[in-house]
Amino acid sequence: MAIFDEELGALKERVLRLGSMVEAAIHDSVRCLVERNSDIAREVIEKEHQINILEVEIDEECIRLIALRQPKAGDLRFITTAMKITTDLERMGDLAVNIAERAIELNEEPQLKPYIDIPRMAEISEGMVRDSLNAFVEGCTKLPYEVIKRDDEVDNLNVQVFNELLFYMIQDPNTISRATRISYVSKYLERIADHATNIAEMVIYMCKGKIIRHMEFPPPIF
Amino acid sequence: MAIFDEELNALKEKVLKLGYMVEAAIRDSVKSLIERDSELAKEVIKRDHLINALEVKIDEECIRLIALRQPMARDLRFITTAMKITTDLERMGDLAEDICERAIELNEEPLLRPFVNIPRMAEIAQEMVRDSIDAFVMGCSKLPYKVIKRDDEVDSLTVKNFKEMLEIMIQDPKIIPTAVKRTYIAKYLERIADHATNIAEMVIYMCKGKMIRHMEIPEGE
Repeated sequence: MAIFDEELGALKERVLRLGSMVEAAIHDSVRCLVERNSDIAREVIEKEHQINILEVEIDEECIRLIALRQPKAGDLRFITTAMKITTDLERMGDLAVNIAERAIELNEEPQLKPYIDIPRMAEISEGMVRDSLNAFVEGCTKLPYEVIKRDDEVDNLNVQVFNELLFYMIQDPNTISRATRISYVSKYLERIADHATNIAEMVIYMCKGKIIRHMEFPPPIF
Repeated sequence: MAIFDEELNALKEKVLKLGYMVEAAIRDSVKSLIERDSELAKEVIKRDHLINALEVKIDEECIRLIALRQPMARDLRFITTAMKITTDLERMGDLAEDICERAIELNEEPLLRPFVNIPRMAEIAQEMVRDSIDAFVMGCSKLPYKVIKRDDEVDSLTVKNFKEMLEIMIQDPKIIPTAVKRTYIAKYLERIADHATNIAEMVIYMCKGKMIRHMEIPEGE
């Protein structure tokens, strides 16, 4: 089983690497908005295909491991969870691209207001992504529950940002198109946090091991 | 292998059933908006746990099949795709719930103007869900490509709806909160269509069978 253990270790590392890439994409997408630097945004958009490639690579490796090593119980559950997690990570990458696109548009117009809540939302979301993946590779701890709790903070900030922008829009209809774009960025960050929450929920579900117990003693078949 | 074939068919049926439930949730959520029927919206919200329960059941069944039947190649790929698809379906259910929440709020406010874009979007989105799941269970056809193409229609309608709402917001800032809620509903439907597109992409990927070929000749331990 030593080879299989090494393969599982390599799988964990790849999932962590995908996570780091997604975190960097979120970070840079918001930085290009705050620093009004559209070159960073274009870089985020260009780099997105690397995230997609690694997602597919991880999925292929999972299927290969299932087919060749015929893992049981905890290992099987870990691998199938990895396959589900990659989907969430890849979608977060898409959302970082969406932020970058809105940032490029916003950078072409005068700045409506200083960005305060949005960098804060990005910071929390990045931490949630990191922690949800650490929870996944480290096994079963309290970490995924903490991730889920923090999602409320991001939701509240999203509502706060939206209400503030609504005020701008009502005061001056000329701000509507810019304010709407900023509200989209806030919404994208909220969705990124939702994806991290989904990962945390899958980790908890993996740890509960409801199905694993059924599989410890598979009934004779064929 | 007869038992396994039966089990695979039962799995297909469960995925189809989950698809129907999600389609019904989308249809009823938009109906509750158009007909200003908040009772219906509350019913959809109440029913969401049934979608969640079936998602978990399908996932459990997939893991059981992998562990006990040790499927190879095409079957393994089908089962792992099923596990990914359930996630998208469950999230569509959540979005239908979001539509209902906005509908309940909107039903308490005066009607801004008749709904034109949103019912059309819902109709296309429902068809996309149906076709993407049909593509999955029927095997490899042109259907998933058709689903992906239709996503553009939904995207265009989202933009069209947004522009119309923007116009009336500029004319009368008082209606901004109401108009914004309507743009949210369009956005939710757009995301539902995105999920259907994701399913169609996964089906195409499953059919290409790139990995299946690698697995036909397993390496020795």
